[in-house]
Amino acid sequence: MWDDCEWEPLEPQMQDLPKSEGRTQESQQENEEKSTWGGWGNWGLSSVLSTATSLTSQVSQGITNVLETGIGAPDPAELARINKLEKEKIKTLSETTTGDEHLEKPILGFGLGNLVQGMTKLVETTSTKVISGGLDTLETIGKKTMEVLQENDPGLKKKRAFLKLDDDKPILSQVLRDAKEKAERENKELEKKHFKKKANYETLFDDHQGLVHLEALEMLSKQCDIKLQSLLESASGAALNDMQETLDQIKELCELPEEDEEENLTTNEIKEILETAVSEINVKITYDRLISTWQEIEDWLAKLNLKICNKNELHQQAIESLAQLTAIAVEQFHKAGELLLIKEHRSTADEAVALEQLTTTLTTLIGIAAARFSEKLNMIVAEGSEKEEINSLITNVFFEAANSSSYIQDAFQLLIPVLQVGAV
Amino acid sequence: MSYAYLFKYIIIGDTGVGKSCLLLQFTDKRFQPVHDLTIGVEFGARMITIDGKQIKLQIWDTAGQEAFRSITRSYYRGAAGALLVYDITRRETFNHLTTWLDDARQHSNSNMVIMLIGNKSDLESRREVKKEEGEAFAREHGLVFMETSAKTAANVEEAFINTAKEIYEKIQEGVFDINNEANGIKIGPQHSPTNPSLPGAAGQGGSQGGGCC
Repeated sequence: MWDDCEWEPLEPQMQDLPKSEGRTQESQQENEEKSTWGGWGNWGLSSVLSTATSLTSQVSQGITNVLETGIGAPDPAELARINKLEKEKIKTLSETTTGDEHLEKPILGFGLGNLVQGMTKLVETTSTKVISGGLDTLETIGKKTMEVLQENDPGLKKKRAFLKLDDDKPILSQVLRDAKEKAERENKELEKKHFKKKANYETLFDDHQGLVHLEALEMLSKQCDIKLQSLLESASGAALNDMQETLDQIKELCELPEEDEEENLTTNEIKEILETAVSEINVKITYDRLISTWQEIEDWLAKLNLKICNKNELHQQAIESLAQLTAIAVEQFHKAGELLLIKEHRSTADEAVALEQLTTTLTTLIGIAAARFSEKLNMIVAEGSEKEEINSLITNVFFEAANSSSYIQDAFQLLIPVLQVGAV
Repeated sequence: MSYAYLFKYIIIGDTGVGKSCLLLQFTDKRFQPVHDLTIGVEFGARMITIDGKQIKLQIWDTAGQEAFRSITRSYYRGAAGALLVYDITRRETFNHLTTWLDDARQHSNSNMVIMLIGNKSDLESRREVKKEEGEAFAREHGLVFMETSAKTAANVEEAFINTAKEIYEKIQEGVFDINNEANGIKIGPQHSPTNPSLPGAAGQGGSQGGGCC
């Protein structure tokens, strides 16, 4: 049923929809002006980020739209009616559209400009599907997962599977693996055409075993989820309420701050915060390797001779560093999950707070790393088209940094069931 | 590096039988007499060639300690191959095989290829489990069997590679549905059904970015 034509832009269809939908469209427009996405503010390189910012605001706009629609959703009967209307519309469309080409092209285009286009389109079209799927779908659509999906899913195959709702939740490691494979294919094509190989984040993340640790963490998380579900099912009355309350409280504790304050921590400060947090969690994990990796990166940057190092090498190093730092961060989250599950005396609240502290500190570090590298890229004296190229490299560094941060945040989210299991 | 297939393996068995050492010998060709206890699961990967095809083995080396048992169980899913290891110098590790086997069968797919491994074959003087016993157990339960030494590297390559060969044969016979990733097999990038619009797209990206991004 997920024909390509279902991914048509929404606007033309919306006009025909009942009033409740029209209202949503208005609020969507309001949101367009307001929406920003927290995480991006703190790098403070607004000029450089213009592309990236517009990209994210597109996404958040789409998400807000989904949220609005989801929360203010009309009653089920009306939903069903809308849904039916939609389907009919789609049917007609499928007869009139010529097929895949004009749909898929913008999404396949690699440039960021194209990506934005493809993404807006996707987010908009996705939102209709989400309405019918209900609110729980929203949880499955992480802001960032969205981006990953856009960029790396040519046939939109995964997205379709992902939105089928009846199946399992989307698996981030799988999405990343697909992204990696797609990039590898593209690199092959580029090589054939004698273009320089691109630095591929997902491949590097995999090389540092980030992917497989993430996959294992997902399995662990799922196992805990299953356990929690069966506990909830076997409880009733007051016990059930208590349990539900406890689970909710933990979830609340794990809510990440919307917007980080602009922080510029020194390596020593970061080290200290990480160590304190680790001791609060009270399991044997360590961020020593992360710190020493970061110190190596800092040394490399300090010794960097911009007269010798070209922009592509610098960009390559930036992506490599981000992938490596993120892989270590995810690995330690995975270890933390395993060790928490065999820990004898759990103190869930402390663990949650400390893990949240770890998450924000690690994403701050990612932000710092991205800023350092782009500073250097900016220093490369360049003119004309070179300048443009450097700008797009910088945008890419921030793009991958945003991805890195969301993988870290996703890893943290995966730990929530692990924390919850310790409390019930 | 690209590959035709990726196989997920798990290594299971009692603590101290040499699981991590087997992995290290296979991936790094070295032996480390003293090894930290594995926490949860650790990973290794290596590329091998079977029938002219590049195959990536992604190996999940699980902790043998009882405390981690329920955790490691959750990692069995989606494995195409398992190395079930005991220590020929410790009878009790052999006695626990049935429990491990039941566990593995229960938590993974029925087509998973299981290789029984009697490790530490270099310690002949301390042997407590005869080779014939291992062979008999394997025959009885439909497993492949080998004695190995992670220390001398004897049969280590063979153990990993023969398991892969069995999996590969099962794929050829159509026993494994390679499109179902719950079977622990992933098809490599170059083997995926080609999206007809893809080359065009890559070209587009190339001319636009000129190697940026």
